[in-house]
Amino acid sequence: MGYVALIPLLPALSFAVLAPLPRAWRNWLVPVSVAAVVASLGLSVAAFAATWPGGHEAHAQTAFEAVFAHIGGAELAFRLVVDPVSALMALVVTLVGTAVQVYSVGYMHREERIGWYFAALSLFTAAMLTLVLADNFLQLYMAWEVMGLCSYLLIGFWHQQPGPRAASMKAFLTTRVGDVGFALGLLVMYANVGSFDFAAVLHEHAWQPAAATAVALLLLFGAMGKSAQLPLHVWLPDAMAGPTPASALIHAATMVAAGVYLVGRAMPIFEASGVALTVTLIVGALTALVGGLLAAVQHDVKKVLAYSTISQLGYMFVALGAGGFVAGMYHLVTHAFFKSLLFLGAGVIIHAAHTQDMREMGGLAKHMPVTTAAFGAGALALAGVPPMAGFFSKDEILTVLVHEHQYAALAIALAAAFVTAFYVARLFFRVFTGPPQTEHLKEAHVEMLAPMVVLAAITAVVGFAGPALGEFLGHEIPWPEPGVAALSVGVAAAGLAAGWWVYGRRTVVLNTRPLKERFGVLYTALSLKLYFDLTYDNFVVKPYARLAAWLARFDLGVIDGVVNGAGRLWQALSAAGSWFDTRAVDGAVNGAAAAVVASGERVRAIQVGRVQAYQALMFGAIVLVMLLLVVKGV
Amino acid sequence: MASHLLTAIVFVPLAGAVACALAPSARASRALALAVSGVVLALAVWLVAAFEPGAGMQFVERARWIPQIGAEYHLGVDGISLPMLALSALLTLLAVVASWNVSERPKTYFALLMLLAVGMNGVFVALDFVLFYVFWELVLVPMYFLIAWWGGPRRQYASIKFFLYTLFGSVFMLVGIIALYLHPAGGTLDITALAGRGFPAQFQMWAFAAFFLGFAVKVPVFPLHTWLPDAHVEAPTAASVLLAGILLKMGTYGFIRVTLPILPEASRAWAPAVAALAAVSIVYGAALAFAQKDLKKLVAYSSVSHMGFVMLGIAAGTAEGISGAVAVMFSHGVITGMLFLLVGMVYERTHTRMIEDVSGLSVQTPVAGGLLAFASFASLGLPGLSGFVGEFLSLLGAWKSELVPAGWVVVSAVGVLLAAAYMLSVVQRVVLGEPSKAVAGISDLSLREVGVLVPLVALTLVVGVWWDSLLRYVAPVAAELAKRAVGS
Repeated sequence: MGYVALIPLLPALSFAVLAPLPRAWRNWLVPVSVAAVVASLGLSVAAFAATWPGGHEAHAQTAFEAVFAHIGGAELAFRLVVDPVSALMALVVTLVGTAVQVYSVGYMHREERIGWYFAALSLFTAAMLTLVLADNFLQLYMAWEVMGLCSYLLIGFWHQQPGPRAASMKAFLTTRVGDVGFALGLLVMYANVGSFDFAAVLHEHAWQPAAATAVALLLLFGAMGKSAQLPLHVWLPDAMAGPTPASALIHAATMVAAGVYLVGRAMPIFEASGVALTVTLIVGALTALVGGLLAAVQHDVKKVLAYSTISQLGYMFVALGAGGFVAGMYHLVTHAFFKSLLFLGAGVIIHAAHTQDMREMGGLAKHMPVTTAAFGAGALALAGVPPMAGFFSKDEILTVLVHEHQYAALAIALAAAFVTAFYVARLFFRVFTGPPQTEHLKEAHVEMLAPMVVLAAITAVVGFAGPALGEFLGHEIPWPEPGVAALSVGVAAAGLAAGWWVYGRRTVVLNTRPLKERFGVLYTALSLKLYFDLTYDNFVVKPYARLAAWLARFDLGVIDGVVNGAGRLWQALSAAGSWFDTRAVDGAVNGAAAAVVASGERVRAIQVGRVQAYQALMFGAIVLVMLLLVVKGV
Repeated sequence: MASHLLTAIVFVPLAGAVACALAPSARASRALALAVSGVVLALAVWLVAAFEPGAGMQFVERARWIPQIGAEYHLGVDGISLPMLALSALLTLLAVVASWNVSERPKTYFALLMLLAVGMNGVFVALDFVLFYVFWELVLVPMYFLIAWWGGPRRQYASIKFFLYTLFGSVFMLVGIIALYLHPAGGTLDITALAGRGFPAQFQMWAFAAFFLGFAVKVPVFPLHTWLPDAHVEAPTAASVLLAGILLKMGTYGFIRVTLPILPEASRAWAPAVAALAAVSIVYGAALAFAQKDLKKLVAYSSVSHMGFVMLGIAAGTAEGISGAVAVMFSHGVITGMLFLLVGMVYERTHTRMIEDVSGLSVQTPVAGGLLAFASFASLGLPGLSGFVGEFLSLLGAWKSELVPAGWVVVSAVGVLLAAAYMLSVVQRVVLGEPSKAVAGISDLSLREVGVLVPLVALTLVVGVWWDSLLRYVAPVAAELAKRAVGS
């Protein structure tokens, strides 16, 4: 399976070729980037096929191995390993990656720095593939951080504007808060196991509950940063300042799902802990609901989708927290397809409407039938309407909650499902129906539509592959149970109906009044993003800047003050004893001083005095120590 | 030649210093400096190629020197001194190239750079305490003059402060050396022979304290660091590069070469306190870096923070920790070298180092901007670049170590976040955005300047991806040291 090494290598090479070149060359070589990801896709399909039919007995196959460090008895290796989970993930990443790159050729063609954009996309794809093909936590962490860099570069792509610049820094720092937890988790893991390898950490080591809880919670904290879970979610909505196709790939389909992937991979540690599972469940449930509520009050199309992503990732954490590994992975896969579809659709919408504000949109359906149909498919999937993929995977999560008797989480998940369907309807009706607010609406180019149609097709059929996919991953994914399915569809229908009632009827004026009037306090709180940003700003960011400034004064005034004070004291002492010095100091020192003076600098006598004082101190100290040694007789 | 390779590496620059000073013209002087530092680097590369990882002290040279006190001319290189020596040779060459256009008294300038190289190379290969001390103090003199004569507006204050402060530290080191020599269990100046002599515990505590003061000023460890920002800000670019790249490492090298093997019990006993100071240095340095308005001062304070990771790894005393410490020493020399060089190159064009005055480099000068961003990400410890290797291993070793309280490791880990905060604020304000008035119209880096940076970029990448390119030399010695020092 040596060809598997090429899967991440090809995009990495296209980054290595593009990045150092001058802009014009880079722009000219964009097709290289697209070709590389298409080739990676082909190889991923091959790897997937070679792993089929997977199942429990499927052995992980090492396609590439290079030991990069020997340290304290441990070998640290870079390995590319194919097992069912990584084969599936590689397929998803390259599939969405290809769709996004093809789409970007059209979407970004006017950008001066399109070559740099593709270089960053390529590096991201390489890093994400390295992550999913890793068989140890250190390699996973390293790829994880490189993805963070790419995310930073792409969010700040339009860095000459202050908004994207600030958003990129916020994203990097917020996720790095989580990464500190991840890194500490690695330290504890290594101290306990002596290795980072999945085999040793997950299967061979007998975890004590306390150590397992520590490691699991620290890894979870890292995952919460990357996957934008409460309370570390604040960076993701701001990250929408980046180009929309990059958001589709990184901030919807793949990178943000890496946290889910990490927790999924580390499941045995979480299970050994128990507590960590509960925490995962709580974090996921709260995020699913709060993310959904926040999505429902956004006016920016992309921000609706961003909060929706936060909410859906919360769903995946709920699944993992309830012990439903395969349900979480399943939702990860379906979400990757339908959410990237929605983002690509949003890009088309934004290009057509020349705005991101839904209040300034309307009536797109008439002029843009393909986009409407594709986006509609994604919207139904997100709302959880059969036969779209989102219905099946969401249903699977609900089923797990029923089976595990997690009724509180079930209630929250259903509430979140209702809100989801509501904001989906709000988004859809506002954008596609009603009177058009933009002139000259026309359908997008084929390189943008084609990827959307492909993703829409996948979204429509992949739900039926559930049981097969479950078997491939070595777990069961049953067909929806009628009871749970009815509940889920009922909730989705109710949410959609409510959304239609508020936003879809032609009688309603296109503004925010309906919600604002009915839920005054809640609406205000939600529109202020539940005060998360304000809190962080006022209690973390600003105090740190103030503390740093205060410490700078402290350093200069107190610590350096002591040093300078000591210097001045010395100066005074040596001045007092200067007549003695002039007699005591021998010719050598005078000679040295004379040399210094002669060399052209005005060395003041006092400075020479300091040097002399130093010598006195030196000899004094030596005498003192010798005395001590004699007296103490050591 | 091979049997006197170390002597050549140390003393060829001395001949170079004389030649540079006596050269008929400025051009001849800098050409000589280039040739000599090129030869030294070539010798260092030869040394690295001929070095056998894991085979202990190599290329040892011994000769009678001062028989009255038993001081010998004793040189040798092991897996820890080797990378530092190679780095010193490389940075000296780059410093010469970076100083190509020095117009003020160039002959003296290049002669001093060569003299500095003698001291720097000597410290890392000396195995006799007197020799070690001589090289240690020798370094001060050329550095003092480089700052005092070619420095910025406050160079008088900065150079005197640098000189006296580090001299103050080395007094205590001298006291420690004499104490070891006079102690019945010691009685020799041979650094390698003093290891494992089993000095009484209480004596060790005192001797450690003396060495600690000597080394800690050089590192510098909080709260002995205030000479550093002044010296860095006033020093000319090449001096800053060598100061941060090599001189600071002499302090941590001292801990690894002297206190860990010779005073193991004291190293263990003091470890919690050293770790505490290390953690405080990391966080304090990072916070101060964040507060700076002067780009060069920011980089200077970031050094305090990064050197804290070296101290943390040393305090840990584990194989991972010591390897990590050496890896940070090497990588910080490379990365901070890049940062100082770039800050200097930007300063030459804009005549300002104030962060608020410089912005939009990536638009106006994409090469300079891109490289500054690269160096910043390397500095903040992005995996795949060399900065991550050492800091991660230091943390790993410290967590594993029983000597370091877990709380200090957590505090140190937060330093990684704070490093991202100050480095990204540099990128955000200086590299990105629209070009500011000072930046508008400036030229991008010349081929010579890019040539100075490329080796450092390459090293950052190679060490960051293939850790063993560095660790294969370091790890065996670190494991040996850990076994003796901590028994783990």
